[in-house]
Amino acid sequence: MAGSCMAVKCDPEMSVTSRSAAWCVSLVTLALGSCSAPRQSVEIPFELTFGGQQLSCEAPAGDISLTDLRFYVHDVRLVTRDGAENPVELLADALWQTEQIALLDFENGKGSCTNGTPQTNTVIRGSAPAEEYVGLRFQIGVPEPLNHENPLIAAAPLNYSVMHWHWSTGYKFLRAGIANDTDGFWIHLGSSRCEGTASDVTGCRSGNRPRIELEPYLPGTNRVEVDLLDLVDGIDLADGTPSDCSSGPAETACRNPFDALGINLSTGASVGGSHVFQVGTP
Amino acid sequence: MNRSRVAVGATLAMVAAIAVVLTIFPRLFPDEYEWNLPDGMPLPVVPADNPMSDAKVVLGRQLFYDTRLSVNGVTSCGTCHAQELAFTDGLAQAVGATGEVHPRGSMTLVNAAYSGRLTWANHLLDTLEVQALTPMFGEQPIEMGMAGREASILEILRNDEHYRHAFPATFAGDSDPYSILNTVRALASFVRTIVSFDSPYDRYLRGDNEALTTGQVRGMNLFFSERLECFHCHGGFNFTDSSTHSDTLVQSVGFHNNGLYNIDGSGLYPPDNTGLYDLTGERRDMGRFKAPTLRNIAVTAPYMHDGSIATLPEVIDHYERGGRMIEEGPYAGDGSRNPYRSEFVRGFDLTPRERADLLAFLDALTDESVLQDPSLSVPSSE
Repeated sequence: MAGSCMAVKCDPEMSVTSRSAAWCVSLVTLALGSCSAPRQSVEIPFELTFGGQQLSCEAPAGDISLTDLRFYVHDVRLVTRDGAENPVELLADALWQTEQIALLDFENGKGSCTNGTPQTNTVIRGSAPAEEYVGLRFQIGVPEPLNHENPLIAAAPLNYSVMHWHWSTGYKFLRAGIANDTDGFWIHLGSSRCEGTASDVTGCRSGNRPRIELEPYLPGTNRVEVDLLDLVDGIDLADGTPSDCSSGPAETACRNPFDALGINLSTGASVGGSHVFQVGTP
Repeated sequence: MNRSRVAVGATLAMVAAIAVVLTIFPRLFPDEYEWNLPDGMPLPVVPADNPMSDAKVVLGRQLFYDTRLSVNGVTSCGTCHAQELAFTDGLAQAVGATGEVHPRGSMTLVNAAYSGRLTWANHLLDTLEVQALTPMFGEQPIEMGMAGREASILEILRNDEHYRHAFPATFAGDSDPYSILNTVRALASFVRTIVSFDSPYDRYLRGDNEALTTGQVRGMNLFFSERLECFHCHGGFNFTDSSTHSDTLVQSVGFHNNGLYNIDGSGLYPPDNTGLYDLTGERRDMGRFKAPTLRNIAVTAPYMHDGSIATLPEVIDHYERGGRMIEEGPYAGDGSRNPYRSEFVRGFDLTPRERADLLAFLDALTDESVLQDPSLSVPSSE
């Protein structure tokens, strides 16, 4: 919305009070600001790897196969050379992105990915003020209060049952799974320790939204590499029992993946240092 | 102050007063739906965006018993919630469509409309519309296994000879009546009609002195005694402290540790079944589960969230001891010493006659009408 050159007319009727006049002026400033600054389109490609090797539903990495990888991204910002941040305005496409949030989807329902969907999406698309950028920041997850909207009436990409935890009244921010011949592991990341009721969620004490900061990251040159080896590092895939982490504050199977995502499992705070998301070079 | 202003003020005050009264006592302004409830019974809480209607209830009943709503066409809601067992399944732990055994047993749906919180241990779940999504789409464990398969459900709704007429007729005015939203609205409306207030105990309360035997009356008095403390958690018109209705002003919600486990003496419950702790991570919530309604309890064996007590006499043993002793194995420990145990689970001593009386009273909570009501049964195929 703010990215387009809006024609804002200040209705004289509206400007009778100082407050609405000020509001009108600020609207004009905003509109002019976004009109005058040239913008560039931004494409942020993501790539899935396992210990640096390519991984997909149809192409295992060694004996590791992919069973699922889907996650929401929001609050995307590019960092200028002098450290300033410019928000990336996402291009709403009524499928993968709204202006606020994007869903990245690496599974295509084939090979080792059962129960999935054929469509995939591995690129975030949007625009930002035309500048030279050296860094990328974003958050994994669905922001409050979108996280507690009714998924049955939400617009895509917030309307998929597989990406929602109905019993905990919020979305699965990230779902990822891998398997070998005998065993598997999956993680469903989402907010936990929520309070209130389904009809009126007052918040979640553990937000569990990793903030990712990648630098140097050069738009148009670099990719974002998602390395699932880091996510499952320390998980025993040879013990013959599938392990899983569904973001419970006391789940032992969540310890390693939460460390890898840079989240404090006890508090749900993003503490940085995620090595699941890395800068990838072509 | 002139007279017209006073009149306006008085009118506004009256309108406000009426609004307040309607908010607090919605029964004064009921929708046209006719509940099948005894006189004086408050109405259940119905979400404002899903008012009851006969059409929704009839449609919800069809959906409730439709196995096509499961991933392999074998499981319906009614599979785990069978009418003759007061809408439970007789299993210690429920089994999903794909054979996955759940950590917990299927709860009765009787009077679910009066349950302030749904399922065994979830402080968030307060509406049947939201709850219905978990058995349909939940993945851990898989119940009906429909996660990611919304499209195939909608295809059934649009193409089935019955549903393709029933959805537009029931949700007239919706631009697209075939939706998951309307599916759960119909399901919830049907489940709200599974009400039970016609047990011998209810008839006794309504003045039929013959409805209970003298032994059952003695058992009732024991049940409601401070000596046994049963009613603290299983009290009120629905025999659970997590009850609500449309005249409720303060919502009561209770979760309790009743001393079933005390692994290693540290208060722990089995890791796949820690109760409210699973959601909150607060140590004080270890082993806290909802006290289920005791209505129809004689037909809903086995007992407890994990079905780990087979019979009602053994349940009485458990509470008489004030917690369960598990001598050996991975869950060994003395539940009566669980540090998180409810203060109302303290143990007591019963004479053989008292025990028989108490069990006889629990039998008096069985309402045959809800077990046989044809409007709640599997619909005959059209």
